[in-house]
Amino acid sequence: MLQKKICMVGAFATGKTSLVAKFVYSIFSEKYQTTVGVKIDKKNLKIEEQELNLILWDLYGEDEFQKLRTSYLRGSSGYLLVVDGTRKSTLQTAFELQKRVEDSIGKVPFIVVLNKCDLEEEWELDSANMETIEKKGWTVIKTSAKTGLNVEEIFHTLASKILEG
Amino acid sequence: MSDSNGNRLAEESLNSNRTEASDDLSQLTDLSELRSLLLGIEEQKLHRFYEKLDNPQVDAEDISQILPEAVILGTMRNEQLSEAMVPTVEQAIQSSVKKDINVLSQAIFPIIAPATRKAIATALDEMLQSFNYALEHSLSPQSLKWRIEARQTGKSFAEVVLLRTMIYRVEQVFLIHKHSGLMLQHIVAPQVAAQDPSLVSAMLTAIQDFVRDSFNVRKNDGLHTLQFGELTIWIEEGPTSVLAGIIRGNAPEELRFIFKNAIEKIHLKLGKEINDFSGDTKPFVASKPYLETCLASHYKKPTKTKYIYAGISLSILAILLGTWGFSAIREHKRWNNYIQNLSEQPGIIVDKVSRKNGKYFIAGMRDPLSIEPNRLIKQANLNPEEVIYEWETFISLEDEIILKRAAQLLQKPQTVKLSLNKNKILNATGYAPRQWILSAKERSSSLSIMGITKYEDKNLTELDVDQFYQNKSELEKIKILFQVDKNQFVPGERAKLLQVVPKIQNLIGTARYLEKEILIEISGHADTTGVEDANIKLSLARANRILIYLASQGIDKNNLTTRAFGSQKILRPESTKEDKKLNRRVSFKVMINDVAK
Repeated sequence: MLQKKICMVGAFATGKTSLVAKFVYSIFSEKYQTTVGVKIDKKNLKIEEQELNLILWDLYGEDEFQKLRTSYLRGSSGYLLVVDGTRKSTLQTAFELQKRVEDSIGKVPFIVVLNKCDLEEEWELDSANMETIEKKGWTVIKTSAKTGLNVEEIFHTLASKILEG
Repeated sequence: MSDSNGNRLAEESLNSNRTEASDDLSQLTDLSELRSLLLGIEEQKLHRFYEKLDNPQVDAEDISQILPEAVILGTMRNEQLSEAMVPTVEQAIQSSVKKDINVLSQAIFPIIAPATRKAIATALDEMLQSFNYALEHSLSPQSLKWRIEARQTGKSFAEVVLLRTMIYRVEQVFLIHKHSGLMLQHIVAPQVAAQDPSLVSAMLTAIQDFVRDSFNVRKNDGLHTLQFGELTIWIEEGPTSVLAGIIRGNAPEELRFIFKNAIEKIHLKLGKEINDFSGDTKPFVASKPYLETCLASHYKKPTKTKYIYAGISLSILAILLGTWGFSAIREHKRWNNYIQNLSEQPGIIVDKVSRKNGKYFIAGMRDPLSIEPNRLIKQANLNPEEVIYEWETFISLEDEIILKRAAQLLQKPQTVKLSLNKNKILNATGYAPRQWILSAKERSSSLSIMGITKYEDKNLTELDVDQFYQNKSELEKIKILFQVDKNQFVPGERAKLLQVVPKIQNLIGTARYLEKEILIEISGHADTTGVEDANIKLSLARANRILIYLASQGIDKNNLTTRAFGSQKILRPESTKEDKKLNRRVSFKVMINDVAK
């Protein structure tokens, strides 16, 4: 069985831990608990007859108090760049983080995850923001850890990208 | 002119060249001689030496000369040569097996049996030691505390005892990819509950990264030990992988050498695979033997090497098991014998046998005239209270039951014997009074319902009570006479014996019918001639002779007794020879008693 390390990267409170919890344990909690350091989980997937063991490193969200430790990224085969669609500022953080990640571990597959799409009324990202992302040629998927929308898909898509090399 | 000059010049030049060549040759020879004188080296050898210098490639012959010594030196210096040769030797073995499996199997055959024995003996010893620990401590005051701990933690008592008597035990060993933190290989000691090794590997790597990032440490420094309660994690780093051992208890520093040795060997063997690692852990199965060397443990040694507690307990257990086994087998055998015996009884058909809640259930069909099953169960030494019967009543047509039923119907006296032949003809023999014989004939018509085709009583002798007393009187009058001083009959007396036999048979038969016991005293007598002691012996011999004869004619000895009177009871005073002759006799006395009930 193949093992691959995947990192969850993004600003604080974007829902990285919730996405992992939904994906691995099928649970969602409204209660917010900030991640200290790193949480690690595991999930087995089957992509086109290939058994894959995803080791998910859920890194704490970057804020003004703590910066991303790039040492945690070492050896990652891919990462999910999580953005909170209800907070425009998290997109900017994501752009910065992507650059730092690439500087640290080089070009590896990643997906931009626009989370919390169940909160339509509070959605702040507009078409201009979307265009900016699309211009970069990045894969973008809207998700909701609460409803489970596209949660499986982001991990499957990233796993497929990793296997494609 | 110029031509002639030119030719001359050419000739001179040629001569000059010849002279130079001759000089050069002479110089070379001189040089060679000088070299030989100075260095003392033969030219041929020198030539070969130059050849070697010109051709730096080493030839196989040279290597073959130095290889054995080089191997020995390399092995003595360190383990690198051995490690380097492992893949070659493995490939050689694989090729040998593929080529002809017999060669290798024959070579290792002498090793396999002792190695297997040793492995089994070690395993048994460890098992016995563990068992002994558990037993030894189960009898100590401390055991109560450990039992409570076992109950609280959900572990077995033996497991808790092992934990508490343990000095240290390496419970898990991880081989982790240094760069990614992914698990390459993981092994766990028996009876140890392990978390997901992939997560543990990743977390250990994260902790290392955290420490490196958080504190100002040198680039090559790493976290070597983590301690949490009674657990210690030892980490040994290789160039591209990390070996982590989870240790319970206090491990000695020597164990670190084992860890270091293991990671070095793994790198030597799988360095390339670790470098090229992209998530596939299959190649690292080969690291298991190295990791297994790290799964060390050490327990407090028992004070007594003889496993007394285990021995005593095992002996008691063996005795109890043996006793229980013997009883169970014996009862099973008795039970089977009983069932077989019951099935063979006339008038009983056993249909189903089962056992439930410690009780036996027997179901089937039974004729009321068949034997009572509990009579058989007592004979079989089984407890009747443990058996529950479910019988359906039926009328059996088996011979034994027919005879019983016929005897019941005809109210057969003891003196009559009934038998049934293959044509189902009922035959009555023995003695019976006339009245019964007539009544049996009348009732015999009802016998057909039992399948009896005919009733016959022609062999039945009619009994008459008056005749009984007449026979008694007649028998007591008979006197068998003997020759002088002998136990030989007087001629003609043998005929009397022929009358005696039917009379006695009739007496015995009638007495049985009348529920009387009969005892016939055979009295021996002698005349007054000679001494009395001799007469007593003679009279006893005469009585015994008659006894033997009667027994030979089928008369039960229990109905006979002898008595020697000598000359004490003479029939008449011996004034004549005829008087003496009458006194040399055997007579009979019939004694009748009621049967004791």
